[in-house]
Amino acid sequence: MWQWFFKLGSPKWFYELSGKWLPWLVAAMSLLLVIGITWALLFVPPDYQQGNTIRIMYIHVPFASISLAFFPLMAVAGTITLVWRMKLADMVAKTAAPLGAWFTALALISGSIWGSDIWGTWWIWDGRLTSMLLQFFLLVGVISLRSALEDTDAAAKACAVLSIVGCINVFVIKYSVDWWNTLHQPSSPIGMAGDSANGPEIWVPLVIMIVAVYLFFAVSLILSTRNEILQRERRSKWVQELLASA
Amino acid sequence: MELHRRKRLGIILFITAGLSVAIGLTLYALSQNIDLFFTPTQIAAGEVQAGQRIRVGGMVKEGSFVSAEDSLKVSFAATDYANDVTIYYEGILPDLFREGQGVVVEGAIDAAGLFQASRVLAKHDENYMSVEVKAALDAAGATAENHTSLAEN
Repeated sequence: MWQWFFKLGSPKWFYELSGKWLPWLVAAMSLLLVIGITWALLFVPPDYQQGNTIRIMYIHVPFASISLAFFPLMAVAGTITLVWRMKLADMVAKTAAPLGAWFTALALISGSIWGSDIWGTWWIWDGRLTSMLLQFFLLVGVISLRSALEDTDAAAKACAVLSIVGCINVFVIKYSVDWWNTLHQPSSPIGMAGDSANGPEIWVPLVIMIVAVYLFFAVSLILSTRNEILQRERRSKWVQELLASA
Repeated sequence: MELHRRKRLGIILFITAGLSVAIGLTLYALSQNIDLFFTPTQIAAGEVQAGQRIRVGGMVKEGSFVSAEDSLKVSFAATDYANDVTIYYEGILPDLFREGQGVVVEGAIDAAGLFQASRVLAKHDENYMSVEVKAALDAAGATAENHTSLAEN
């Protein structure tokens, strides 16, 4: 029963499988990005209050949504590292941290631009914005912690613990707009009918953009994990053979 | 699972659960301070002292907006549909500012008991729609319930 789980931990197996998946993922990502951005910029109707500024949502929401996935991902990888000592899990955790910092920064920047136009300020210390900024600093903390410790095993353990603890902040970000008074609006409920708020003409292109950005995340994570595998396994026989044949 | 792995997993779960409870209690204790703004009802209940710099959040009451003809001075009532606070402000308002729209106002109550604002921010709700859909909803008289989102806070 556990065999597939341990197979997953083999860097060689992951390298071969991900190599087969990559072209398909890149193709799907490119297609959805083109459709999503064209739809969001040209065909979404201007909002009754915000006009064309609403189009920023199609960048901001996907990046904000995916940046909440990093700490849970790093925590799962960290738990596997701590309990089963699986090499691949730590490689994923290591490459995820800088990606997460980038995605979080993009969510903060796109939100600032939106806020400076609509709210009248580019920053306010409300629950949502502050907890999101905290996530950015936590991710920078995970990256610095790893580079500060020279021993790979010790760094893996320390980062795993910090990632598990940092997960709690994800709940704070998610529910900040419900628990406290904030300037940031709560998540939008999806409207099913054509003539309701947040109807299909608003959310269908948003869902396309979200899937596209998730695929972009998957492609980035796979590419940097493959890079990490080659670096850490450079002395193993299969990498030597791969390099010789290339 | 082997015993030593089960033990390690147990320790991780225990620490995570303990930290979650500790942080949860801290946030619960801080919840009043994390709120970005006071509601008009909290101000009516006397929770705010004169001179204290605070933020007030509410909807701009329909028909309450008054603007001076020769200056940028404006006044309007912020309401949570239970109580009102009259806001005095001099300056440029955000584009989104209008009656029936959410605002967050920074300022303080002066000696005369009037709320003097130093900054007005627009707060919008989570409902996005096109001009056509908005017109159709207005015609159907369905907008009244959309206005309650801020009052519930």
